Amino acid sequence: MAIGKGISPAGNADASSPGGGGGRGDGAGLPEASTRGPASPIEFRLDPASGVPTYLQLVQQVEHALRLGYLKPGDQLPKVRDVVASLAINPNTVLKAYRELETKGLTAGRPGQGTFIEATLSQVALPELTGLRRSLLGWLATADTAGLDEDGIVALFTSVLRDFHERRGGTGDRRAPASGATEGVA
Amino acid sequence: MNVIEAAGLGKRYGSTWALRECTLAIPDGHVAALVGPNGAGKTTLLNLAVGLATPTAGTVSVLGGTRPGSPAALDGIAFVAQDAPLHANLSVADTLHLTRNLNRRFDRGYARARLDELGIPLTRKAGKLSGGQQAQLALTLALGRRPRLLVLDEPMASLDPLARHDFMATAMTAMADDGVSVVLSSHVLTELERVADYLVLMSRGSVQVAGEVDDLLASHRVLTGPAAEAGRYAERLGVVHARRGGAQAHLLVRTNGSTDPVPPGWEAHPVSLEELALAYLREPGAASLPGPVRAERTEVSP
Amino acid sequence: MTALTLPAQPGHEASPRPVPWRRMAWITWRQHRLAVAGVVAVLGAVSVYLYITGEQLRHQGFISYGAGPVLSITAVLFQAIPPLIGAFVGAPVLARELETGTFRFTWTQGFGRARWTVATLAPLALAVTIAAAAFGLVFSWSYGPQIIGNPVLSPLAATTFDLHEVTLAGWTLVAFAIGSVAGIAIRRVVPAMFATLVAWSGLAVLTGAFLRRHYQAPLVTSNFTLPDGAWIESQRWAQDGHPVSLSAVDQVLQKIGATVAAPGHLGQLPAAGSQSAAGSQSAPAPGPGSVNPAQYLLHHGITQLTTYQPASRLWPFQWIEGGWLLALSLLLMAAAVWLVLRRAA
Repeated sequence: MAIGKGISPAGNADASSPGGGGGRGDGAGLPEASTRGPASPIEFRLDPASGVPTYLQLVQQVEHALRLGYLKPGDQLPKVRDVVASLAINPNTVLKAYRELETKGLTAGRPGQGTFIEATLSQVALPELTGLRRSLLGWLATADTAGLDEDGIVALFTSVLRDFHERRGGTGDRRAPASGATEGVA
Repeated sequence: MNVIEAAGLGKRYGSTWALRECTLAIPDGHVAALVGPNGAGKTTLLNLAVGLATPTAGTVSVLGGTRPGSPAALDGIAFVAQDAPLHANLSVADTLHLTRNLNRRFDRGYARARLDELGIPLTRKAGKLSGGQQAQLALTLALGRRPRLLVLDEPMASLDPLARHDFMATAMTAMADDGVSVVLSSHVLTELERVADYLVLMSRGSVQVAGEVDDLLASHRVLTGPAAEAGRYAERLGVVHARRGGAQAHLLVRTNGSTDPVPPGWEAHPVSLEELALAYLREPGAASLPGPVRAERTEVSP
Repeated sequence: MTALTLPAQPGHEASPRPVPWRRMAWITWRQHRLAVAGVVAVLGAVSVYLYITGEQLRHQGFISYGAGPVLSITAVLFQAIPPLIGAFVGAPVLARELETGTFRFTWTQGFGRARWTVATLAPLALAVTIAAAAFGLVFSWSYGPQIIGNPVLSPLAATTFDLHEVTLAGWTLVAFAIGSVAGIAIRRVVPAMFATLVAWSGLAVLTGAFLRRHYQAPLVTSNFTLPDGAWIESQRWAQDGHPVSLSAVDQVLQKIGATVAAPGHLGQLPAAGSQSAAGSQSAPAPGPGSVNPAQYLLHHGITQLTTYQPASRLWPFQWIEGGWLLALSLLLMAAAVWLVLRRAA
């Protein structure tokens, strides 16, 4: 279940150049982020072999960045044009991803300015996380004893997860308003 | 508005029909990919759309009903033919001047800025540029005309991966900035999967598949199950293409939008664009076109 | 649904104003400057030679009439100028675009392929016509005195008729026009050039051999002496009003020691039915004490009827020939434009 790993904070060479072959700043050190305006904290990457649709990869990367803290409410997502220029993908795909994020309530578009983070994903309290980890380890031990190998475990988990989603009938993400109290976990 | 609309379009060269019974409506605001093996008729269709050829049968109109080759069509469509033809003995600067003189509208500032970014010298003769540079030059000239539709015939056939990336980045940026629609052809589907949101699959002069990529992917899936039962479900399920081993079979089926329940003992998987294209290309009689459903063959391959 | 909303498009009209014609001026010059410069350079160089020759002829005085080997060879070389211009300037205009594939670029630009063809052919046609006319002027000045008034050579003869001002311009223009049609029909530069040469040569030969004599009704005379520079179309012998063969006339003449075709001091009587441009002089030179062959024949009722065109018709014939060549050229270039419109990719 490969979600977009490797979210990197902005500042890499790819962020600012529109894919030109002129060789700007390929040399020593990371160049400054684009001076066109306030850059987005995140930069997208694509995993073409993952089998996940492109727009979904973008959505997942934003959500992952929110979880990891790269994105906070008020931050701006990369401009559609810049994403297109660096990844060479269809702008409709980027728009679709941003619309999806808006539907989930995570972002909001400001006309003429861009798309901004409005909310965070729900954070789970630390004691709960520890408890979940422990019970998961127990389950894994049982599965291992039963003879399931790693791929088998992943396949079983994926299948049950899908069933779980279907039964719940929703996206499953619980949103917390930016201003509300959140039990944050760094 | 449809950027390219064809009804029963056909073109014959001598005694060979390069294209026949082509009926299409490619909407604007999309990147439409024309995919098919060599000889499928992609170049013929594009030539008819840009006015380089006239139909033998049927009709074709562009940009919402304009005749290809008419002044309005020539004004609104920029075409880059296969291998980016340029006048070899003209310098890049002369080529810009030539293009500016041949069109009502040409953004010289954009063209020069773009060439500068790409590192293409204005004084070099166009014939002395590398393949990637020639393709970028041709694309820059086309986009400098500020067209409403960009038509590209196998634009990346002779480009290395970096040049290909840069080429598509330029085209997609223009689409994001100016709302240009793009129609491009290729015989390699994988490089278009990230970019295309409308697919036209062609084979042997006919259109097999035409539709939005999202709709196509949503309306097809692969069912995996016991080979022995494959025949029983073939008729009912609308099978496009089947592959079977001794005990297991994979059926690529068209669901027509309704979510039929998966037969017990079978698994359903989403289908990738490449898998879908290959399945149709292997079944010349199968088609997925907007409009009346055509009868599909249910032949299973060993 | 997923479509990008289009921002306002800058001025996309239903029927846009056409791109101005003058835009093509730079383009035509840039793409054909080598060919045009080449033509001007070659013609210029030959003009210098002609000027020198002309000056020499004027200083020497015209001691030798007659076709002369020099004029014949030079004339043949000059005859090659129009078809070569047509092949090298006319044929590549359309053929190169098709051969290199650049027509897929040029004819999908806003200018439009028919207008592009006209805007390319017209200035080039004008340029080669003017260059040829200028060269024709130099030729006429240089060799004119040797051609006009020449008792042996007729200015209407095919050797030099094409090289005068109007006809040279006309034959060059038609060669260019043939080249342009060949270019679009054949689509490859070298074969189109070759076809241009062949087609032009065929037309030139047919015109010289069959068409030119019909421009005006020829004059007929029974004089043995023809005006200087007359262009003979046919000659025949008659005795008392009935046609008689050459051998019969020969037999009659042998009684006084002359023959019909024998040159020499007994006079030259040209062979019946000859159409040579040279040797129209038929006044026999009576030797001392011998009978004048002409009077002898007349005494026996034998006359010679010559159909000819007088040299004074040089200019009317030039205008006639130039006129139909112009019309044909316009027709051919219009055909080239039509073929450009019709031809598929």
